[in-house]
Amino acid sequence: MGRPAAQENPPVTSDPSPASGPIVVALGSDARSLRLVHAGFRMAREQGRPWVVAHVEVPGWETPEEADQARVWLEEAHELGAEVIWLKGPTVVAGLLMLARKRAPSLIIMGVTRARGPWDRLESSRAKEMLGRNLDVRILPLPLDSAPPVDFAWRNLGDLVGIAGALAVILTMAGLFAAALAVVLGFPAVPAVFALALAFILHRWGRVVGAAATLASFLVYGLFFNRASGMVPVDGWPRFMAFAATVLGAQALVDLVGQLRQETRLGRRREAETVLLMLLGRGLARCSTVQEVAGVLVRRLRSLFQAEAWVLLPAEGDLWTRLPGGGDAPPCAPPSGLLPEFSAAVAREDPLEPFFEPPCSFVPLAGTGGTEGLLQIRLASGGRVPQERWGLLQAFAVQGSLALERIRAVETAHSVRMENETERMRSTLLGAVSHDLRTPLAAIQGAATSLLLPEEALTEASRRDLLMMIREESERLSRLLGNLLDLTRLESGIIRVRKEWQPLDEVVGSTIGRLERQGPVPVRVLLPADLPPVPLDGGLMEQVLQNLLVNARLHAGDGEVLLEAWAAPDSMELAVSDRGPGVPAEYQARIFDKFFRMPGQLRDGGAGLGLAICDAIVKAHGGRIWVEDQEGGGARFRVSLPQDGPPPLLPDPEPVPPEPAP
Amino acid sequence: MTQPLILIIEDEAPLRRFLVPTLSTQGYQVDVASTGAEGILLARSYNPDIILLDLGLPDRDGLEVLRELRDWSRKPILIISARNQETDKVRALDLGADDYLTKPFGAAELLARIRVALRHAAGSGRETPLLRVGSLCLDLEKREVAMDAVPVKLTPLEYRLLEALARRAGKVVTHAQLLNDVWGPTGEGQTHYLRIYMGTLRRKIEPDPTRPRYLLTEPSIGYRLNVD
Repeated sequence: MGRPAAQENPPVTSDPSPASGPIVVALGSDARSLRLVHAGFRMAREQGRPWVVAHVEVPGWETPEEADQARVWLEEAHELGAEVIWLKGPTVVAGLLMLARKRAPSLIIMGVTRARGPWDRLESSRAKEMLGRNLDVRILPLPLDSAPPVDFAWRNLGDLVGIAGALAVILTMAGLFAAALAVVLGFPAVPAVFALALAFILHRWGRVVGAAATLASFLVYGLFFNRASGMVPVDGWPRFMAFAATVLGAQALVDLVGQLRQETRLGRRREAETVLLMLLGRGLARCSTVQEVAGVLVRRLRSLFQAEAWVLLPAEGDLWTRLPGGGDAPPCAPPSGLLPEFSAAVAREDPLEPFFEPPCSFVPLAGTGGTEGLLQIRLASGGRVPQERWGLLQAFAVQGSLALERIRAVETAHSVRMENETERMRSTLLGAVSHDLRTPLAAIQGAATSLLLPEEALTEASRRDLLMMIREESERLSRLLGNLLDLTRLESGIIRVRKEWQPLDEVVGSTIGRLERQGPVPVRVLLPADLPPVPLDGGLMEQVLQNLLVNARLHAGDGEVLLEAWAAPDSMELAVSDRGPGVPAEYQARIFDKFFRMPGQLRDGGAGLGLAICDAIVKAHGGRIWVEDQEGGGARFRVSLPQDGPPPLLPDPEPVPPEPAP
Repeated sequence: MTQPLILIIEDEAPLRRFLVPTLSTQGYQVDVASTGAEGILLARSYNPDIILLDLGLPDRDGLEVLRELRDWSRKPILIISARNQETDKVRALDLGADDYLTKPFGAAELLARIRVALRHAAGSGRETPLLRVGSLCLDLEKREVAMDAVPVKLTPLEYRLLEALARRAGKVVTHAQLLNDVWGPTGEGQTHYLRIYMGTLRRKIEPDPTRPRYLLTEPSIGYRLNVD
């Protein structure tokens, strides 16, 4: 059944599919279904369509374990951006039809298996044909592999009447056929035909039904053939024994095949578990905090085991702290003394079974450095975790603890680095601050004490000069302290950026206005009239512009300072350029560092904080600030601010202004 | 005519030492309180013409003192605050303060603000229908705006905005106050409307909108119609 349905069933594809309908992936429960999800994801992305992943639950058709797996696949699909749907229907086809009528899909992707026998082929093609006949939709069958179909089999075990009927029909047919053959071939044909029929039944419905069918076949043989013995020589004990031996032998053979099948199923479950672990590992690898690890573990356990789960970390004494990620508080606390017991077992490399204290089970999160924490889970049934799932649970725990360990290691490294950085900062800060604070203070103190000298010692002009100096130096001190405070506030997150949509010319206007209070500002401003509004914090951005303009003016000498802005597709671009000496390439990255001053630069009263503040503010806006060489010499400071989507619309356009009286 | 009485509510001695002689030499009568409770008591007893209120008082929050004063007094209140957090200033202005000064400030700036506040208090009884600032002329009675005697066409919203600022000329008007004046209760929180209309208004009456002469921005707080 590797060929697409289109070739077998042309009418299905002749109808054009709805252009905008979603892509529907019909999902089974085994590990290979993930391929369907990924195929759906790729197609939806290529065609830019929405996609829906649906699983049809047929009551009594799949085991709870398989249903759990299907939930995991759906969750994976959800993470990939699919809309996921869990349907219930009498049959898979009925469920899909229901969905298709509602959502008008453009394409249905379903898994098909290469058929092994005529029965499988019949099933798969019937499912597709039924769908195709009822829908104007293209169906894309994806070959999974050569194993028997799991998704679209008709294993209606609950329908005993149906099975009994089927048995009766099969055995009657077998009986008639055997009788017919026996006329030609004699007795040996009879057990062979029955053995064949029983092998089929056993393969189809399993041991219990098979045993019932074997008994039924003895009955049929006894009743039917003994009566017909006039026609065919089948009577007598030896022949009955031969019949029984053949039939039972066939049964034993099919049993063996059944065991093989069981092993195949186990193999498939292992494959599913491997995929689950892979998904878990991938989820955990993305985590950067302990909380995220807990979240991933809890979510995966919930969907896999249908269990509530909690991640507990050891706290002081015998207490535990619960990491957020689960739902409510756990129903019981871990028993005391569990941690040392687990630790000892881990040290002995004992195979650990989950510790069960109704209704919860506990598994240690044991890493290389001892027990990192505990995984507490409560199954929906409230019972123990079944033994065949211990391995999987422990694999989860190991992955979880490795992720926790990794994060702890990163955190430790980070805090060590932070400590070093803080120490370095502290000494730089002390040095810079003590120098920059002392200089203006010394001037103020000196001037004030001079003024207190007996009056005749100073001329009126020098008295005024000293007073001016006190004013200027105190302003400088105030600026420095303001900058230090601002930077501290920005870095500690006390200042929060409150972005509001506003025209840039307002910020530019208030900045220049503020600067002009201290004297004329020779800045040329180039703002396009149609500049769109941009989301920013006016007060903070004004400080950025002010620092950049003051810097530019300081270094420009008599040259012109130019302030420009223009709109880029997703951002607002700003540039402040001067014709000063510029910033040498080797310092261009560092001049935004705190207290950084270019060697050889004059101490102009700044403490090397202005650009650091600009950097902190622009970054807090989600933007970027950098410096580049101005063509023809000089520095060009660039700021790029994100536009964050289209500007808000005004409530309604204003009415046309009334015509003024002439 | 007696000199205006200024009440200073300020707990820091160095600042009082600077304020008292500065204001006295300018001819004002000065009264000083160093706690909120004392300030309220003095305000009730002497009914000063203007109050300088520090927000960081030892006994109670300055904003609370402001609210209590505003319960019964309509006299101008000038906030002196070391905090440069904009939210505090906006709250003080919205609670009815007339203006604010951020420490440190110079004597000239303080005296200018006091003059504006007193002038405004004196004029608040009668509405001045005609406002002239530089070449801008605003006639509130005829609802006409002119630049250098040339009429300027404003949309109704732009006019209401300019009028709201002109009725409090020289004083800071917060975003919330302007939105309420121009748009009514529906305008609450819609600061971007205000900014956009302020932009179009500036383009009509400012000679150079990037260097506003009349409509000054007080960043993160509001706007002020410059009367100097």
